[in-house]
Amino acid sequence: MRDEEPRMIPSSLVSVVDDDESVRESLPDLLREFGFTARSFSSAEEFLASEYVGQTNCLILDVGMPGMSGPELQRELKLRGQHIPIVFITANRDEAVRPRVLAQGAVACLFKPFSDTALLEALNTALQVN
Amino acid sequence: MDVRQEDTSGEIKHLKRCLNDLVSLLALPAMWSGSQPSQIVHTLLDALLGMLCLDLVYARFEDPAGGEPIKVLKIAPSATWILPDEIHKTLNQWSGDDPQKWPSLLRASIGDEDISMVSQRCGLHGEIGVIVAGSDRADFPGQTETLLLSVAANEAVIGLHEARLLLEQKRVASELDRRVAQRTAELAAINDELRKEIAERHRAEEALLESELNSRLILHSIPGLVCTMSPAGEVDRFNPQILEYFGKTSTELKGWAISDAVHPDDLPRVVAAFTHSITTGTPYDIEHRCRRADGVYRWFQARALPVRDTADRITGWYVLLTDIDDRKRAEDAIRASECDLSSIINTIPMLAWSARPDGFCDFLNQRWLDFTGLSAEQARGSGWGAAIHPDDAKSLLDSWQMALVTGQLADVEVRMRRFDGEYRWFLLRASPLRDELGKIVKWYGTNTDIDDRKRAEEELQRSEAFLAEGERLSVGGSFLWRLETDEITFSEQLYRTFEFDRDSPVTLERIGSRVHSEDIPLLTDTIEAARSGNTVLNYEIRLRMPNGSVKYLRTIAHGTRDRDGRPEIIGVIQDVTERRLAEEALSQARSDLAHVTRVTSLGVLTASIAHEVNQPLSGIITNAGTCLRMLAADPPNIEGARETAKRTIRDGNRASELVTRLRALFSKKESTTEPVDLNEATQEVIALSLSELRRNRVILRPEFADDLPVVTGDRVQLQQVILNLLKNASDAMSAVNDRPRQLQIRTERGTDNQVRLIVQDAGVGLDPQAMDRLFQAFYTTKNDGMGIGLSVSRSIIERHHGRLWAEPNDGPGATFSFSIPPRQGGASDAG
Repeated sequence: MRDEEPRMIPSSLVSVVDDDESVRESLPDLLREFGFTARSFSSAEEFLASEYVGQTNCLILDVGMPGMSGPELQRELKLRGQHIPIVFITANRDEAVRPRVLAQGAVACLFKPFSDTALLEALNTALQVN
Repeated sequence: MDVRQEDTSGEIKHLKRCLNDLVSLLALPAMWSGSQPSQIVHTLLDALLGMLCLDLVYARFEDPAGGEPIKVLKIAPSATWILPDEIHKTLNQWSGDDPQKWPSLLRASIGDEDISMVSQRCGLHGEIGVIVAGSDRADFPGQTETLLLSVAANEAVIGLHEARLLLEQKRVASELDRRVAQRTAELAAINDELRKEIAERHRAEEALLESELNSRLILHSIPGLVCTMSPAGEVDRFNPQILEYFGKTSTELKGWAISDAVHPDDLPRVVAAFTHSITTGTPYDIEHRCRRADGVYRWFQARALPVRDTADRITGWYVLLTDIDDRKRAEDAIRASECDLSSIINTIPMLAWSARPDGFCDFLNQRWLDFTGLSAEQARGSGWGAAIHPDDAKSLLDSWQMALVTGQLADVEVRMRRFDGEYRWFLLRASPLRDELGKIVKWYGTNTDIDDRKRAEEELQRSEAFLAEGERLSVGGSFLWRLETDEITFSEQLYRTFEFDRDSPVTLERIGSRVHSEDIPLLTDTIEAARSGNTVLNYEIRLRMPNGSVKYLRTIAHGTRDRDGRPEIIGVIQDVTERRLAEEALSQARSDLAHVTRVTSLGVLTASIAHEVNQPLSGIITNAGTCLRMLAADPPNIEGARETAKRTIRDGNRASELVTRLRALFSKKESTTEPVDLNEATQEVIALSLSELRRNRVILRPEFADDLPVVTGDRVQLQQVILNLLKNASDAMSAVNDRPRQLQIRTERGTDNQVRLIVQDAGVGLDPQAMDRLFQAFYTTKNDGMGIGLSVSRSIIERHHGRLWAEPNDGPGATFSFSIPPRQGGASDAG
């Protein structure tokens, strides 16, 4: 299976920011299976305070979170000059969210639950942009 | 030589002619003898005009008597170019008014011709007049012409003088004649007069003789008391009647002034008047009482006239006493009755007046004047109009004018202004007084104050109108049904309600034809009940109108008896169609409400639920994908796969639980009764709404009591209530930015083991005035709310035998609480 997949840059750091614990538990394992280095954060504030902002090659970001929301973090990063490609994920099947975040420069917006291939596709796009 | 001879013969001719002219002129005074001065002037000027071949000649002679001067202008017939007006103008310019100052020679232009004019003064200094001669000849005036003019002037003076003398003589002679004639006539007249006077005197003497005889006769038979007095006022002679009346001797009567002959009350007045007349000689006329012989005082009019001789000296007085007692009494009576009448007219409690046939108001009683505050002078004539209200004045004047023509005044109601400016209603009535020929001689009128009546009338009209309006507004009407005759009377409104034609009578059959077929039995029963003496009727019946619509009528009636004891039913019928339809609509709305509430609440929940379900699903799928990848690895990561599989199962269970709860929520079951741990139920609701609360920046502070008893009820319904309270609290804070959006939710054990749940927000708070309506359906303060949440919540809590209420906070926001009794006999198993 590995041979069929596109080669990743092994050192690519993918950070996951989501308030849902099951996502934080499951997603980093999958990302590591993909060959990425993975970090997870329970809130936007936690991510911003961490040392990984500058090292993150791709951000998987939940839209609806208590405190700073996903789109607010996106804006904040832009203001800080951190051009990290972002893949949004959301459990709210709100069709209005996707065009809004894409317009703000997000690479993709996935509705939960999403397949592993859809995620990998989005990450590949993101890292190519990078 | 010839020429010279010619000249000489011309000169001789000229001199001859001059002499002839002179002779003619000198002969003029002889011609003039006996002529008038103006004739003299005319002949003189005619002579000069011809003699001197002048173009014009003018003369002006003063009248020594001071009359108008004689002015004559003559123009030669050949001199057609000369216009008299122009000559007068030229002369005036030349001369002015004083001919003495005229220059002796003048050259003037008249028309196209130059003319020489010469003036010759008459009299030594020209005081008599002036003669002006004019000619267009260049050599005018020549020497002879000047000479002739001067002679003519002299002759004119002489002629005029003689003429005037003659005139004067004539005037004096005729004056003398006139005077003589006049005097003669006067003397003749005097003579005549004398003759007449003598005859007159003779006749007078005869008459006097007769008159004296008559006088004595008259004096003695006159029905009056007569006496004479000396110039000093001493009574000297009496007729017998006077002595008889007073019953006194003439000596006694002479001292009347100090006797009781005159009433003591009148005496001072009489003496004063008497003294005044005697001293001044003026006639004396006074009314006083005189004592009759029997002691009765009667009223007399005493008149005294002085008798004078030819030198105007008073020689005595004649005194006449006339008995006026009867007249006096009548007068007094009249005066008294007039006084009475006047006081009646002025005190009757109405305004009274009279007017002349032409409408001129000539009397207004005191009350009228007092009421209006106008003076009699102001109100007289048509001045009373000032007291009439301007809005009523025209119609009153019209009626009054009409009355003056027709002789009949219809009753008129007008407002009259009181002295203080307030208007009051009056009824005006007037009747004409007619003479025997039926002609109106006077109008008498009264104004009666009807203000109170008028106001009562207005009040009545208003309340009648109000009643009608009230009936109309309440869509109610009244009816009367006489049971014996089945005679039915409908009010106006009822005709409208039943849509009955007003022309035909209302009958039970007619009413029955309108009643809805399903309600006919009800109508029949009601009629039966009324007939059998049921005195109170209260029922609702439907009408089927001709256009197919249905009306709902509520009838409330009671039995009574009319004045003759016959039974009747009186009642009101109110059209309650609108209300009934509204009630039906409301009932329908209520039955829809439960479903609507459910759907709406679920609609609100769906987003949260989807979110909550998607989270474990997301975990499941990710874990499953990871698991497969781990197993496919070389070597397979068995431990990792086992771990992810475990997580998959856990997330699967979470999703399953949610689906179970959702199924309960969607269940058709009205309610399920089960033991409910309110803490647990609340935590689940919080879990469901947490993300939305967070999105709204709500800081949630849950606080759960440890020893909370279990309650019995429908878990999902109670959760619906909790969710609703949380959502309301969150919404109430959506506009709050100046303080933390703090939401406290806590459970506690209250008195009697009541389980209580409290939701406290820091939102906009409650409007105290809206507290009552808070739990009513459709009451909402939210722009997008339906206002059914709290209403339904309350009914749910009440179904659990509990209570839901709201309180304002001490600070900002509100607190909603409910309490439910604990499960009967159940132990607390909450933990």
